[in-house]
Parts: sequence; C-alpha cells; structure tokens
Amino acid sequence: MNRETGGRQSMADGSGPSVAKRLFADYETRPAYYDEMFEAAGVPRAHCLELCEALDGMQPDEIAAMQALAERSFLHQGITFAVYGEEGAQERIIPIDFLPRLLNAADWDVVERGLRQRLKALNLFLADVYGPGRIIADGVIPVDLVRGCPQYRVVMRGLEVPHGVHVALCGTDIVRTNDGFMVLEDNLRVPSGVSYMLANRRALKTSLRNLFRRHHVRGIEHYGQLLRQTLSELAPPGVSDPCIVLLTPGVYNSAFYEHMFLAREMGVELVQGSDLLVHNGIVYMRTTAGLRRVDVIYRRIDDDFIDPLAFRAESQLGTPGLFYAYRLGNVTIANAPGTGVADDKAVYAYVPDMIRYYLSEEPVLANVETHLCREPEELAFTLDNLETLIVKMVGESGGYGMLVGPHATPAERAAYAEQIRKDPANYISQPVLDLSVSPCLAANGAAPRHVDLRPFVLHGSETRLVPGAFCRVALVEGSLVVNSSQGGGGKDLWVLSS
Amino acid sequence: MLSRNAEGLYWIGRYLERARHGCRLLSDQLATMEDRPVEEIDQGWRRLYRAVHRTPLGGFLASGEEDEDFMLADAYTMADDLTFEPGNPDSIRNCLAAARENARQVRNILGVRMWDCLNLAYLDIRDIGIETIWNDQPDAFYLRTEDAIRTFSGIAVSSMYRDDGWHFLWLGWFVERTQLLAGLIDAHLAQYPTAAQHSESDWRALLRICEAHVAYRHLHSHSHRPGRMVDFLVADPLLAHSVRHALARVTEALDAVSSGRSLAVEAGRRAGRMAAVIDHDWPNRDPDDDDATRTALQDVRNSCLLLHEDIAATYFHYEIVDAP
Repeated sequence: MNRETGGRQSMADGSGPSVAKRLFADYETRPAYYDEMFEAAGVPRAHCLELCEALDGMQPDEIAAMQALAERSFLHQGITFAVYGEEGAQERIIPIDFLPRLLNAADWDVVERGLRQRLKALNLFLADVYGPGRIIADGVIPVDLVRGCPQYRVVMRGLEVPHGVHVALCGTDIVRTNDGFMVLEDNLRVPSGVSYMLANRRALKTSLRNLFRRHHVRGIEHYGQLLRQTLSELAPPGVSDPCIVLLTPGVYNSAFYEHMFLAREMGVELVQGSDLLVHNGIVYMRTTAGLRRVDVIYRRIDDDFIDPLAFRAESQLGTPGLFYAYRLGNVTIANAPGTGVADDKAVYAYVPDMIRYYLSEEPVLANVETHLCREPEELAFTLDNLETLIVKMVGESGGYGMLVGPHATPAERAAYAEQIRKDPANYISQPVLDLSVSPCLAANGAAPRHVDLRPFVLHGSETRLVPGAFCRVALVEGSLVVNSSQGGGGKDLWVLSS
Repeated sequence: MLSRNAEGLYWIGRYLERARHGCRLLSDQLATMEDRPVEEIDQGWRRLYRAVHRTPLGGFLASGEEDEDFMLADAYTMADDLTFEPGNPDSIRNCLAAARENARQVRNILGVRMWDCLNLAYLDIRDIGIETIWNDQPDAFYLRTEDAIRTFSGIAVSSMYRDDGWHFLWLGWFVERTQLLAGLIDAHLAQYPTAAQHSESDWRALLRICEAHVAYRHLHSHSHRPGRMVDFLVADPLLAHSVRHALARVTEALDAVSSGRSLAVEAGRRAGRMAAVIDHDWPNRDPDDDDATRTALQDVRNSCLLLHEDIAATYFHYEIVDAP
C-alpha cells in the first residue's frame, strides 16, 4: 500500500497514527555538513517542508518496499552497469534511494548559469589549444600542461569543428558545502549517468505520484529530444536531415544500457564499429538495403578506440578511416576527439582562469582548491599533509587510483607517497570536502548520507540542459565516495519551479 | 535497417522457436511417463533425440531393458541434457540465453514489453537446474516457458511496427520452424514406420507436439492413418505448425524485405522452390514409401540450411563491392 497521501502529521507534535517508528525520528544534522533537507535538527528548509512532513508520515519499511520493487524492476528492465574486474558481476543495478533531493529555483539558477558559463569557456579553450593557442602564448596556462597532457591529440591541431563545438555533451560533477556549490570535475569525454537520472525519475514518479504532483517538479523527460536536436545542429555543413548514429563499444561495456536507452530515446541507430565503414572519406553503415551514409556520430567510445588507423592500432572497437572522414569534414564526431585535455585533473585547476580569460567574467561556480604536484612547493605541501588530503591521479576517473588521506592507514599513505614521488606530475591533491548530506533510507529510518550531483549540459548552436541531474549518493555511512563503481547509489533530484 | 539489428531479430526468432519446440517435445515426452510401458518411453526418447540431431551423453537404455529405476534415471539425465546442459547449444536454457543476448544487442528497437518478457523468461531459468523442476512439476515448467515465448510473440504481433525488423523476426522464426518440423517428422518416421504396428498414441503425440490434434480430429474424425497425418503436417497450408505454412511465412517475409531492392534474391527463389516442391511433387509421392517421404523431408531440412546462408549473405554479411 502506498500511503504517501495519508498519515501526514506535524514534525513537531509527534502525534499521529500508531506508527512503529517515524522516518526522521533519529535523524541527526551536523553543522559541519550542509543538509539538503534540514536547516537544523527537526527544522526542514522551507522548500522541503511539505515533502518532509509527507515522508515522515510514511513507514520506513513501506518506503523500503517501494525501493526494493523499483530495484527489481531495474534488474528486469536491464537498467544495469558493469564493474570491471569484478567476477560474476556482469550486470549490476545502481541502488536507488527513494527519498528525493530537492533544489529550489534559486539554487538551480546558480547551477545552471555556472554550467552554461563553464561549458562555453571550455569549448573556447579547446578551440584555442587546437588552434592559435592564445591562452598559452599569453601565459595563462603552462604549455607543457596542455601539450604534455596524454589526452592532448596532436591530430586535432588546426581542425575546425562545426560551430566550434568540441564538447557537445558534458556531465559536470557538482558538490555543495557550507560555502556553496563547487565543481568537482568536468566530464567532457563520454560522460554517463543520464539514463539513471531518467530511470530514477520514472521510478519515483510512479511510486510517489501524488507527492510529485504537488511539488511542481520541473520535467526532464525531454532530454532525448534535446540531445537529438543538439546533434542535428552539429551536422556537417549543407546536411539538412542528418543521419545520426550512436557508436557503442557493445553489450559488454559498463554503460551499454545507457547507449541503448539514448539511441531509443533519440530514435537513431545504435551501431558498433564493425557496422560502419569508410569509403572515399565517407562513413557508411551497413543496412539490409545496402550502405547508408552517416553524418553525425555520437560516440560512447574513448578516443583511443575510435579509429585504429589514427589512434590505438590494436583497437577492434572502432572503424578504420573514421578520423580521416572526420578531418575531411564529412562526418561529425561528438564529442570531438581530444576533449580530454580540458577535463584533465591538472588542467581543471585553470578553468576559473579560462572563464576570466575568454569571457571576462567571474566564475559562477567555484573550483575546489587544487594542488598540482608538478609544482615543487605544492608537492611538498601534499606530502606533508597527506592525512588531510584527497590525492587523485590526473588521468583517472570513476574513483579509481585515489587516496582518501583521512581514511587511509599510515602504511597506505606511505606507499602512496612513494608513488607520488616517482611521478609527481601525475598527481593532484585537494582538501577533503565537507560534502553536503541528504536524508537516505537506512536500517533504522532516515540517516544523512553524502551526495553530489551530475547535471548534463548540451551544446549545439545553443546551450541546453534539462533541470535535473543524476544525484549520486554514498550509501555507506560516513563515506565520501559516491561513484557507482565504488558502492554509490542514486537519488532523484527534484528541481522545483518556484 | 542496420544489418546487425536485422540479424539480431532474425536470431531471436530462431532461438525462441527452437526453445519453444524443445519445451513442446519435452512436455510431451514427460507425459508419456505417466502411463506408458518402459519400452515405449524409451522409443519416445530415441525419436526426440533423433529429431534434435543429438545423442544422449550416456547412450540409450539397452534394448529390452525394462527396469523402472533405470528408466527414471535416464529420463532425468536426458531432460537435463535437453533443458539445462551448458554444453548443449540447443538446450532450452542456452536458446533463451542466446535469444536474450541478441535482444540485448537490439534493445533500442525492441519494445519495452518484449524485452521485459524475454528477460523475465531468461531470469526464470537462469539459476535453476533439473532438480528444481523435477521435484516440482516438470510439465508446469515447460508450459510456463512455452507460454512466456508465446507471450513474447503476442506482444510482437500487437505492438511491432511492420518494418524490416518485424519481417526479419518472423523470417528467423519460420525458417527455424520449417527446419524443426521436417526434422521431427523425419525422426518420427524413422522410429515409427507407417507400415509397422504402433499404438495410435505415438502418432497422436506427434500431432499434439505440432498443435495439430484438434484440427486433425475436426477434419478427419478419429481416423488413424499415419500417411494422412504426415500429409497434414507437411502440406496443409492452413495449419500453423505445418511445413507448408511455415514456408509461406518465410516467403512472405522475404518478399517484404526484398521489395524494390536490387540485392540478389536467391533466398526468395530458394524458398519459393521449396514451397513449389510441396505443392506439386509432394502429392505425387507414394505415401507408403517411407524412404521417399523421409528423403523429401531431409531435402527440406537441407534446403533450410542453404536458405539461411542465402539470407546471411544477402542481408547481413554481404560483400561490399562499391559504395553508393
């Protein structure tokens, strides 16, 4: 039974139906962490008041049952991902937490403005570093940081891309602390997670129908349509009704569900490298009626594997000659090869400077203070303060290869320090952030868990984003790691219209 | 349509029909164990294995062996082999797994309900073994699995867009059915020659497996004439599980996918020839000559193998001579 409409009771008086235990009975707030739902113990934020009251009137096991049902439905629908290197875990779901996170219109406005600004600057940066290189010549960013970055693709130099758009899609990780929103990471290569955002929304909308309706939550379901529109706009010049395809590495890729889902949402073919071929500089796909020309490729495959002739020769996933067709301007690849240079963890430190340099504006969203170990003083600082820092490898993502100083043993820290000394340029360090918390369903009612959010921004002839995000949550008490591959879960983010 | 998608749908059709046929054969064979003598049950297994072109891992019962315990142990092993054996590519579980793997590849063009149905059928069989169904009611398991496949095809009929994807799904389904039916009837004749004295129930079982018993009874009352039954199963175009009907569906699908195309139409020609042989040559054969009948059925089966190669070479893996 779904009792979301009944059993509403005051948070303060403690009266109400004979409920075994109320959801927020033992919920604790801690001033060190911004709480997304409560201002102080037992005092919900204004925009969360109604939700809080309604949820408090529901029994935890009732919500847990809805959650379990949704997770089973994810498994049945195949809304899964794979964790590499884990035996027997080919298909796993991302656990969903059913207590939504709310964002009011003013907060979303900050996030949206910040994201638009950031993506604009990042695209200008990419056009610049693969073009005239003004930002380097003007000494804003060191040349070796850019050209020495493993993600910098020399083959992209001097290439003009349609509308100057290198990054057509990005998924930016944003966290909130008591100081406000901050960007943790820009994912500019093949960002994933948008299908989980939509799946979580569908699950919550179905189960908490009336609550959802009362909150006037802004819709996100048109993402597929916006994505298709964006990709159409990036078609090679002169192509009015482009043939768009989504290039996937195949069913064994961890995000295959998402590839399939997006292809279906957009109504485009989901192709693998072997379905494509290049003839006289033109890309075709093999259909039952013969070859059909392809104009835009939304690739969900890393640069290295796109084309064995241009990048990694042993790749079986790509299509020989694809990059040649791209250079000729006969096909658009989104995102463009080489965008990884702009989301490198060391280059990240310079994004606020890029915004000032290209747009003459102050960044709306702050960066996390970052120490580049390539600089001797910052290396020394990092090594001296390992127990309070998070250290990351510049080229890694997904929470891999990371040291969380305060949670590591002295031996682990010592071993990691040795690695840093061997190749300092490969590491950056950041302070441990006091990530905001949001109530999540735990064994004994609601408990605070750390969260972040990943909104998805599209950039064609204009910038577009749906008001929502894949809200990631560290389901383990006290954990700060929200990555799905490291035991994280998801939540629905409700952006309110007022 | 993307060739790989067409091929995926084609194989979904083939594997599901193969799994459905397997369920049908096994539920019928297990039913014989209720009241038939050991020898007849053994004959049933021999026909079944011959029909699927396989030899049981431990061989059949020795001739004349009538030990009930042996019979039961054998049945358990053989049902396991045909249902769950990982090394048997045509076991029901492997067929469902393969159909589902193909469906995963083409999920973006498959309706959500079709995927759900197939995925659930697979999850239902994935983690169980013969002991689970044997100790319960094996019949119910085969019926449930068969029903899931029927539900899948029902959803396809009621929801799929009638484009090439639709035609390739049924093309695979009916090429498989043609091949399986020819193999089954051939195996049946080998085990139960028309001239020999056999109980009616063996022949009625064949009709039941092909879901033809009600229609046959309606048309021919209760007359027990093996030759007529074979004719019915091979040549009646109105019977859903006849070779002729399956071929009609194959031809229909091939016509649809090749219309207005300049690609080679060898597959269509071959299917047309197979249908013409049944329409014109089949009625003229000597119905008492089992060898001639079996040869004709083996020709159908072999032609199916060639037909498959034609389809793959025309639509899935064709040679690229020049780009448009």
